[in-house]
Order: sequence, then C-alpha cells, then structure tokens
Amino acid sequence: MRALAAIGLSLAATSCSGAASQAGRVFTANWQNDGGKGIAAVHTAVGSAPLAPGPGLAVGVTKSGLSAALLDGKGSWKYAGKVDALPTISGDVVVLTTGGEVVALDARTGAKLWSVSSQGRSLRGAGDDGSTTVVSLGAPGGGRSLLLAVVRDGKVTLKLEPEPEIGTPAIQGGIAFVPWSNQYVSAVDVAAGSEAGRLLLREQVSHAVNVSGKLYFGELSLIAFDERIGQATAGGATRVTLPMRELPGKPAWFTDGATVQPKSGTARERIRLYARPDGAAIGGGRFAATYFRVVMGLGATDATLNWVVTADSDVLGGAAAKGGFAFCTASGQVLLRDETGGDAGSVSLGGEVSGCVVQAGSFALSTGKPPLPLAQQIARALEARSADMVVAQRFLLRELGALQDAFVTKVLIDLAENPRTSPLLLEDGRQLLAARRSGAEHMLEALSKHYDFLTDTVRPPPVGPLADALAAMNEKRGATLLAKHLNDPANSADDIQRAARALDKLADSSEADELKTFFALYRATADQKELVSAVISVARAIVRVGGDEGKRIVRDAARDPLTHPDIQAGLAPLVVPEPADKAAQQK
Amino acid sequence: MRHRQQIGLALVLGALASGLPAAVTAQPKPKAGAKALDLARLQAALESGDEKRALEALSTIDGAGAAGKAAAPLVQGLLARGANAPLLGRAIEVCGGLGVESCSAPIAPYLRHRMPQVRRAAAKALIDTKGPVAVRALSAALRSPDPQVRGIAASGLGSLRAHDALPDLFKALSLKVSEAATSIGQLCKPEECEKFATLLGKQPFDVMTSGFDQILFRPTAEVPDDQKIRIVGRLRELGTKDAGNYLAEVASRWPANGSKRVKQAIDGAVKALGGRASSEDDE
Repeated sequence: MRALAAIGLSLAATSCSGAASQAGRVFTANWQNDGGKGIAAVHTAVGSAPLAPGPGLAVGVTKSGLSAALLDGKGSWKYAGKVDALPTISGDVVVLTTGGEVVALDARTGAKLWSVSSQGRSLRGAGDDGSTTVVSLGAPGGGRSLLLAVVRDGKVTLKLEPEPEIGTPAIQGGIAFVPWSNQYVSAVDVAAGSEAGRLLLREQVSHAVNVSGKLYFGELSLIAFDERIGQATAGGATRVTLPMRELPGKPAWFTDGATVQPKSGTARERIRLYARPDGAAIGGGRFAATYFRVVMGLGATDATLNWVVTADSDVLGGAAAKGGFAFCTASGQVLLRDETGGDAGSVSLGGEVSGCVVQAGSFALSTGKPPLPLAQQIARALEARSADMVVAQRFLLRELGALQDAFVTKVLIDLAENPRTSPLLLEDGRQLLAARRSGAEHMLEALSKHYDFLTDTVRPPPVGPLADALAAMNEKRGATLLAKHLNDPANSADDIQRAARALDKLADSSEADELKTFFALYRATADQKELVSAVISVARAIVRVGGDEGKRIVRDAARDPLTHPDIQAGLAPLVVPEPADKAAQQK
Repeated sequence: MRHRQQIGLALVLGALASGLPAAVTAQPKPKAGAKALDLARLQAALESGDEKRALEALSTIDGAGAAGKAAAPLVQGLLARGANAPLLGRAIEVCGGLGVESCSAPIAPYLRHRMPQVRRAAAKALIDTKGPVAVRALSAALRSPDPQVRGIAASGLGSLRAHDALPDLFKALSLKVSEAATSIGQLCKPEECEKFATLLGKQPFDVMTSGFDQILFRPTAEVPDDQKIRIVGRLRELGTKDAGNYLAEVASRWPANGSKRVKQAIDGAVKALGGRASSEDDE
C-alpha cells in the first residue's frame, strides 16, 4: 500500500460500507488500455511482497463436512458443517461457504479463523496473502458476483458487487487480483477499494492463483506475475503453457474460475490436468492428466506418455508439487507419485469423499519406488472393467501398441480373449495385435487354446489378428495351430478367412489333412463371403502342399456343380491338368 | 483328457482327409435274402454333382434295409468329398441309420461344421454309428459352443457306455447340461453314483431324477442294492412332496423280479413322504 502511494497512483481510501459504490469504477468496461504501465507499476510495488505458499494439504468433502490431511503426513483435521460448494485452499487458509456464511480455517489445524455472511451466495474461489483473504462469491447458477476482503479478525475491509462475473481472486501485498470478463485482471487496492492497475490478456483468464508463493493468472495457460507482466497485452509476458495433445476427455488445467464448483466432484473434476509452473516452464518436466481412475504422466514439452497410475477409485482432485504429484481419490486416499510415476506413499483422508481440493504449497515429494515398465502400467489400466474408462483405455491401448516389447503382445492377447473387454476396446486391440511383429511365443501359446465350454475358455483366441501377425513374421510354427482353428466353429468367419490366408503362406504338408477337411466341409456350404475367400485360400495351400491327391481334390471340386459358384471361379486358375489332359492338349 | 481328444480328432480328420474311405471293391457282401443294390449306379449318382440324383440314391440306400450297409462306403465317400447342405444332412442321416462303425470317422468332422443343423445331425448320427471314434468325437463335443450339440453328446455318451467321459459329464452337469444326468446314471460306478447323489438339492429335482432313474433300475451287478438304498434314503431325507411322488412313481414301475430290499426302502420312503403308495400288485 505504501509502495503504491509512493509511485503516485491515485487510490482513494474508502470504508467498507462505502466500498460497494466503488465497484463501478473498479470493473468498468470503458477502461483505457494503458499498454501495461499500470499493472507493471503494481508489480513493482507489491511483486516482492511475501506470499506464503502454505502447506501441502488435501481437503475432501465428506457427508458431514470436511476432512483434511497434510501431504507430509504430519497432521490431519476435520470440520463439521456441510459445505455448499467446493472449498478453496490458498496459502495458509482454507475457505468454504456453509450455512449462509463464508468460513476461513487454518490450513494446518483446521481451526476457524473467521466467518462472515455469504450474502446468500456460494464460494467461487479465494486468495490469501497471510493477512487478508479475498473471496469471490456468486450464485450457484451464475450471476450475483460478490468480492469480499476479510482480515484475520473477521473484519470485512472490502465488499464489491460488480456487475461482470468475477473469477477466482488472489492477493499479494494488499492488492487483490481479480479476473473478470475472461480478459481482465483488475488489481484492486483492498484498503482504498479502487483499481490500482489492470491487466488485459488476449486469452481466457478466470483465475489468479498462488502457486507455491508466486502469482499466476489464466485458465487455459498461465501468465506469471513477474517483471514482464507489463508486456502481457503485447504477448511479451512470461507464459506457461502445456503442449497440445488430444487427451482422453479433453482435460482442462483449470475450470472456469467464475463459476461455483459443486461440492461433489463432477466429471470435469475427474478429467483434469495438473502442472506446476516454474518460471516459463513446467516444473519437473512432467504434467499429469486424469481420467476418472487413470492418471497419466506426460512430458512437459511433447506430451509423451511417461507413466500411468491406476487408482482404486476416481481421482477427484490433485496438485503438482516439487518432485511429483498428489492425487486425491474418491476412496479418501491421497496418492503421492514422483515425477517418474514412482509410488512415494500416500496419506488418508479417513474415508470416502465426494469432492476434493489439493494444494501443493511448500510440500516436496521424495523419490518413490521405481515404477514398473510402462507396458505393465498400461496393462494394469486396461484391466479396469468400467464403461467410463473406455475412452482412456483406448488412448492407452494406442500408446501400448507403439511399444515394441514382446510383453505388449501378451497384453493385447489377454485383452482380446477376455469376455469382459468392451467391444470398442476389443476391436482396437485386435487391430494392434495384427500389426505386432514381436512376441511370437505369446501368439503361439494363445493359438494353442480353443473355445472350451467345460473350462473358462469361453472366448476363442484372436485367431485372425494372430494369423495376420504370424504370416507377416513368416512364423511357420504357427501353421499347425492355425490349421486346427480352421475347423473350429467357435471362431468368427473373419478369423477363419485370415487364418486361411496365413496358411496359404505358412502351411506345409503337416497341415494337409486339416486343410482338406476344411475344404470338404465348406466348398459347397460356404454361406459367407469370408468363408468363400477362406476356401479358395485353403485350396491354394492344398495345391501347394497336398501332393497329387491335393491337386486332384481341387480339380474335382472345380468341376463339381455342387461347389459354390464363387469358389468354383476361384478354383479355376488353381487347377493343375491331369496327365491325361496334358497329353490330349499336346496332341 | 485334452491330449486324448486331440489324438482322436487327428484320427477322424485323417479319415476324412484321405478322400474316399474305402474302395467300392471292398464292400461287404449283402446278406442272403436282402435285395442287392446296384452299387455302380448308386456311386455314379452320388458323384454326379446332381443334387436330385444324389438324394434319390441316398433314399435308395436308406430304404434297402440291411443291404444298405454295402453302400456305406459310397455314402462315406460323399461325406469325405463334401457336398451342399441338403445332401450333407441326408448323407449323415443315412450313414447314421446304417449303424456301421466305419461311418463314424467321416461323420465326426461335421460335428464342428459351422452350420448348426449339420453338426447336430452329425452328433445324432454318431450315437448310432458307435465305436471309439464316435465316443471320442462326442466327448469332444461336450466342449462345443453349440448347446444342442452338447446336449446330444451328453446323452449319447451314456448310450455308448463311455465311462471315461464321466468326469466331463459331471463338469457338463455343473454347467447346466442337464442331459448329462441321465448318462451319469447310466455309467456311474457305486462311488460315482454316490457323488452324483450328493448333487441332490444343488441341481434341479427333475434333472436329478433322470439320473436316479437310471441308477435305480440298473442291474444289481452294476449298482449294488446298498447304493440304491442310500439314494432312496437321500430322497427320503429331502422330505419333499416331489420326492415322495417320484419314489411312488418308481415303485409303480419296479420290476417284479427287482430287489425286494430296494423296493421296501422305496415303499418306506413313499409312506414317510406322503407320496402316492404303490399297490401290492406292483410288487
């Protein structure tokens, strides 16, 4: 405040009771762009003011109130009182709305610091600088924006009811930073109740956040409140952004800060991005994306998948900390994972939660246990049989298919054989399996199995994709097994067609009997185009490996009016003339 | 078990894949009194590629009584070469009707045909053609994806006295192949019959009685009276009206020369359960 006065900004001191009248001047749309001079001056004045990062803390919403745990495992607390919106953690305080009041709690102990009337509104967000808390409130369905500044003794020092929707505020050095209209951040002198500067951004902004003691503004990306903030309008600010990549469910880094977040985590809360800005970069070189139970660690520059964690329940909240991440699950566990995805422990919220917020604050993770290979991590995620996981699983399946490890082949086979695999996943898995060029032993083992009503093999192996892969690998050990599958009615016609095609390449005389049996069974009864194609492929193989008898069988079938006409046509080029016919032709 | 099935399957496939299974020259001579068939004409018809002619030939063989057995190799040849669905169905039926074991090998592969009606016809025919090839093929058919094939196979294995198939029949019964109960009743040794009896209360009552019926009416040399009386005791312990009625119905069918001890146990149980008691004439 003193710093601002010193640089000659015009700040009119006002009392709380008269503050509302200032709102018009603070959040006016007819503001003259000052080229960033105002906000730069604000940074000069308060940019180095202390801003407590606060403790690492997870706060879960329970049926009776809140349950919190410090991420370092050194404390936990509970708060009795039903909240009407998701609480906010900022620095050393937890802010919530309950029973018509805004309540601030000590983040470390849960002790109540103060409460004031919420004016019939619910919490949108809050910020705290160690002495003053700024709170943004509104109606759950939107509208009725209210900004309060409350000091530790519970005195409201600022109350503004701006017409535009305001987002989640922060405060540093007595200046509240309030995003609004998705493009401005007004720097409001809490004591004076007037605007000390304004940041105009050319991108969406609804949050001002304290990230481990530093302020950032944004929503889709973040702009650092640093010495370059004055150049923000011209695109010259320190900007932190996440690499573009189509991720399951299109997760967002931040939700809309100008709306009230429901106390129970919605789908949007379950599909989120977590990253820690560090200057213009992403701290630790990793960011995380959640999709219900799955958490994916991605490279900060190219979004390459580095690791996958499958939680026992939906991830409702999280935060990126120094050294890793904390993820709060619906079962009330807060999972700690280092930057490589290694298990660095967990803390408990003591029971199930319906919503959760996490602040990394000053908490730093230690290195966890070395994680399993990525293929095994993905395999674990694919085991989760839940309809709402399919989108993430399809993404992970594509990632898995890109890995050359032979183990991947086994995972894909297991997926294809499992009767509980969803149809979408099954088709993707079969396509990837057909493209495999490693893991032949796993393929052969799979083909040794058949549908068997008396055992648990009630879905036949993925014969078609395995046939494609084995043929491409010229793996002749697969021929006998494929030949046995030709005559198994549990296999689909598509699988039979592909097996027959592979046998055209791989079969030798050992498979002649199975080939001839198939030919006899279907040359006149094939009732699907796949079977017609399979019979012709098999005929080709018989002619190649079946000796004179094989050639005779194909020749006779080509002449037999009972043979399916399309098959007859396909056999014609394969027919080897009888010696008597040759002699006649020579004459 | 699987290994054994694979060997059996290989035999069957080998037989089918070898083309014509037996030369017409190897035909058995018709029995005296039976009208001899014109085998050369029948062979020409079956190899003509003319569905109508071939079906007529099959009908001729089918109607020839014992003399038809001489034409079995011709029908087997048709099955080995393959044909369209109407001809296959008829050929399988005719070959099965001839009741010659040599038909089992060419019919067996059709148990795994993709057309349900073809594989079901094959399963039925194998019960008539009998022999180890039929037993192996029907044992394998218990594992079929086709419920009807499983049911026919389960029934057939009892008819074919395939005691080796009992473990699979028990497994099939546990998987709701109810036809397995009758076969188990036909095949079980005393300790196996007792194992079956322990399923009372776990399997539907009518399924269990289909097996008990077989056990109770088997000769004492196969199933001792003590075992039969234990089964009657189990039914009595069940204490239901259904059990009483069933035993009363068994009593009414009990042969005059049947075991008196077993009959007494049945009558006692009927009385205790309030089922319809058998008359003195029944004894």
